[in-house]
Amino acid sequence: MKKEWKWMGLLIVAVMVASTLSGCISEKEETPAPTEAPGKYGGTLVFGSSGDAVRLDPADVTDGESIQRMDNIHEGLVQYDGGTTNIKPCLATDWTVSDDKKTITFNLRKGVKFHHDYGEVTADDVVFSFARQYDENNWYHDKGNWSYWGWMFMDIESVEKINDYKVAIHMKNPNSSMMTSLAMFTVCIVSEDAAKDYGEDYFKNPVGTGPFEFVEWVKDDHITLRAFEDYWDGRAYLDKVIFRVITDPSARLMALQTGEIQGMEHVDPSQLAIIEADADLQLISQAGMNVGYVALNCGEGYVDANKNGKWDAGEEVDVPGAFEPFKDVRVRQAIAYAINKESIVRNLYKGAASVATQGQPSSLFGWNADIVGYPYNLEKAKQLLADAGYPDGFKVTMWYMPVSRPYFPTPTEIAEAIQADLAKVGIEVELFTEDWGAYLGDTEEGEHQACMLGWSGDNGDPDNFLNVLYGEDKATVGSAGNVAFKRNEKFQDLLDAALLTFDQAERAAYYEEANVLLTAQCSHVFIAHSNQNLAFLSTVHGYIIHPTSRKFFYPVWLEE
Amino acid sequence: MTEDTKFKRRTRTQDTIRQLKKNKTAMVGLAMLLAIFILCIGAPIFAPHGPYDADLDRGSKPGFWSDDCIPGYYLGTDYLGRDLLSRILYGGRVTLSVGFVALGFALIVGTSMGMSAGYFGGKIDSILMRIVDILFAYPALLLALVIAGTLGRGIDKAMLAIGVVYTPQMARVMRGAVLIIKETEYIEAEHAIGSSTSRIIFKHVLPNSLAPIIVYSTLMLATAILDAAALGFLGVGAQSPSPEWGLSLSIARKYLVTGAWWAATFPGVAILLSVISLNLLGDGLRDALDPRLKGGAKL
Repeated sequence: MKKEWKWMGLLIVAVMVASTLSGCISEKEETPAPTEAPGKYGGTLVFGSSGDAVRLDPADVTDGESIQRMDNIHEGLVQYDGGTTNIKPCLATDWTVSDDKKTITFNLRKGVKFHHDYGEVTADDVVFSFARQYDENNWYHDKGNWSYWGWMFMDIESVEKINDYKVAIHMKNPNSSMMTSLAMFTVCIVSEDAAKDYGEDYFKNPVGTGPFEFVEWVKDDHITLRAFEDYWDGRAYLDKVIFRVITDPSARLMALQTGEIQGMEHVDPSQLAIIEADADLQLISQAGMNVGYVALNCGEGYVDANKNGKWDAGEEVDVPGAFEPFKDVRVRQAIAYAINKESIVRNLYKGAASVATQGQPSSLFGWNADIVGYPYNLEKAKQLLADAGYPDGFKVTMWYMPVSRPYFPTPTEIAEAIQADLAKVGIEVELFTEDWGAYLGDTEEGEHQACMLGWSGDNGDPDNFLNVLYGEDKATVGSAGNVAFKRNEKFQDLLDAALLTFDQAERAAYYEEANVLLTAQCSHVFIAHSNQNLAFLSTVHGYIIHPTSRKFFYPVWLEE
Repeated sequence: MTEDTKFKRRTRTQDTIRQLKKNKTAMVGLAMLLAIFILCIGAPIFAPHGPYDADLDRGSKPGFWSDDCIPGYYLGTDYLGRDLLSRILYGGRVTLSVGFVALGFALIVGTSMGMSAGYFGGKIDSILMRIVDILFAYPALLLALVIAGTLGRGIDKAMLAIGVVYTPQMARVMRGAVLIIKETEYIEAEHAIGSSTSRIIFKHVLPNSLAPIIVYSTLMLATAILDAAALGFLGVGAQSPSPEWGLSLSIARKYLVTGAWWAATFPGVAILLSVISLNLLGDGLRDALDPRLKGGAKL
C-alpha cells in the first residue's frame, strides 16, 4: 500500500510541475491539484481532550467528549460529507423515500464487518440499534436513557427489516430534518451480539463498524483506539488514536508544545496568538455552529405523562428553581440589555466569536437578519427593571459551567464578567457551579434560577436549535432541553409546521418568524456564537474540521 | 528612696517586650505585619479604585514597569480589568479575617479542650484526646477541604473548616502546658488552702500556660492564612467576585502562559509577605517567652 501512495504522490507532483511549466492552462487544469499529498500510514496520535467521556454507547450520549470518541468507533446508515452537513452513503448504499414522505427504505452495504470478530452487519443489527431506543418491549430498552431520541427522533414510529440487507424506517408524520438527523451519532449502528455479551456494560465495550476499534479506557486518564484492519472503506492512516484527558487549558497547550500530545481541543482564546506565532503548531478554526446563552428559569415546566412528546393540558408541574422576577418579560429583557455581550466577545473570546442576536447561528437557514437582539444599553436595562418594580435589583444565583465548551471557552471569566455587568443595574449575582455530569442533570431538573449553557448543532438544521433548546415541548422537568422552562404555543406551532414541509424557502420563513418570537420572549439571553478552535502539531495532516464539533480521525495522517 | 527600688521590678510582660525589642528579625516581622494590617484595614482610603470595578476593555494590562500601563493602575489589571492593587488591599481584609476567625475558633475550643483534658485527666482526658487523635489522623488541608466541601462553598464555611482543623493542635499544646503547671508547688499550695477549681484554673493555670499558646497562635495564624488562600484557590473558600488572595491567584494563574504574570504574582506576593511576617514575629516571640531557648539567665 505504502509504495502505491508514493507513486501517486510523484504523479501528482509531476502533473503540478507540468501544468506550471506549460504556461497555457486549459480551464480543466486550472482547478488546483490536491495540495495535500496522499497520507502516510502509521503512527499514534494523542489528542488532548478537556474532559473524559461519560459513556461510549452512541445512542446514550449527549456530551461532546463522549461523542468525539464514540464517533470514531461507530457509524450510521448515512454520514456527513467532509466538513459539511450534507449526507452521503455509509452503511447504507442508497435509499428511497416513499411518496407520502413517511417511509425511507435503505439498502445496506454488504460485507461490512463489526470490530472484534462480531461478524457482518445485517438488518437485524440496524433494527436493534433503533428499536432499543423507542420500543419498550425491546430487551435492551431499559438499559439506557436515550435522551437524544426524545429530543429529535420521536417522529420515527418503527424500523422494519425487509430482508437481511434492506430496512425501512416508518414515521408518524413527514419530517423534513429526519434525513440529515440520520447521520447523527444517536442512530449509529451497534452490534446486537456485542450488546448481548456485555449487557448494560456495552457502553464500556463498544463494538461498531468505524475506522477505529476500541482498545482500552482508563477512567479520567485516556481512551485508546486502534485502526480497524477490515474497515470497509480501507484502513485508516493512523495506527492508534489516544484521547487523553487534560482539563486545564494551559496544561493542554504546554503538552502540545512539548509534543506530548499531537492535537488538542478547546483552545483558550487567550492562547490563539501564541499558537499562531509558533511555526511548530497549526490552528484550525471555523465559525462555530453553536450558541452560548444564559437561561432564565421562568418555571413553566411539565412532565410528559403520556409520552407523546407534546405538552398536553394537565401535565404542568412545578420547577424547583423557578425564580419569581424572571416571570416578568421586562426583567428578562433588562438582563439582556445589561450584559455587555460586545465587550465579552471582544475581550474574552478575543474576537473569535460573533455576538448572538438570536437563538441560532447565522450559518443556518432561518436566521433572521432583521433581528437586532439586545445591544448593550445600561439605561434601558435600568428603566425596564424600574418599570417591572425592581428599581434596586434583586439577588439571584447563576450557575456557570465547570468545563470549557466550544460556545463558552472560558466559562468562569464570562460568568464573572456577567456578574460585574449585572451589578451595575443592582442585580447581585451569586455564582455556583458543580461537577459537569451533575450540572447537566440538575439543570435538566430545573434546579437553577439562571444557568449558563449552550449547544453545538448536530445536523445543520435550525430545528436542532430552535426546537431542542427553546420549544415548549422540551421544557420537560427531568430531561429538559429548554432549561428556561418557558411556554410559547405560537412558537412551538411554527416549529411543528416547519417540520411538515419539505420546501426550504417555506421552512426558512417559519423559522425566521419563530426567531422573532423567541427574541421578544427573551427567556434565554444569547451571548455568542463562538469559533471552533483546534490546535495540532504542524506534522499532523488531513484533519477536516466539522461544524458540529464532531471529530473524525479517519483521514488524519502524520508526517514522520 | 529605699535600697529595694534600685532594682526596678519588671513584670513578665515587660520582660518579654524588652526581649522582643532586642530581636531584630522579630521587629521586622512586626513592622511588616502592622503595615499590612493598616493597609488592608484602611483599604477604602488607600485603594485607588473599587475592587469590583470591572471593564473588560482594560483587561490584563501591565503596571508601572511597562509603557502599556494605564495611569492610576499601579500594579496592572486582572483579566476583567479590575485594579490589581485595590483588589489586593481589599482581598487582604478577607484573607486575614478568615485567618483570625479560624484562629479565634481554634483558640476558644482548643484551649478549653486542652484545659479540661489536662486538668481533670482520667476519662475526660481519654475521650477528648481520642477525638483530637482522630482529627490529627488526617492532613490539615485535606481535612479542611473535606469539611468545607461538606458544608458547601463560602467564606464562613472556610473559616469554620480551618478553625476545626487547628482545634486539635491547640488542644494538645494547651494540655501539655497544663500538665506541667498542674504538678507545680504553687498549685499544690492552692489546693492546700482550699481554693475552688475555677479559681485555680482561671487565676493560676490559664495565665501561666499562655506563653506557648501565644507563640503557637502567631505561627498558626500564618498557616491559617495559607490555608484560607488554599481553600479559595481550590474553589471551596471565598467565591467570585471576592478579591480574596487565593481565589484571585486561582484564575489569574491561567494567564501566566499568555504573559500576564502580574495578576497571579502580586496576590501570591501578598500571601508570602503576610506569612513571612507572622513567622518572623512568632519565632521572636518564642525566643522572648521561653528564656531557656535563648539568652535567658534572667530567672
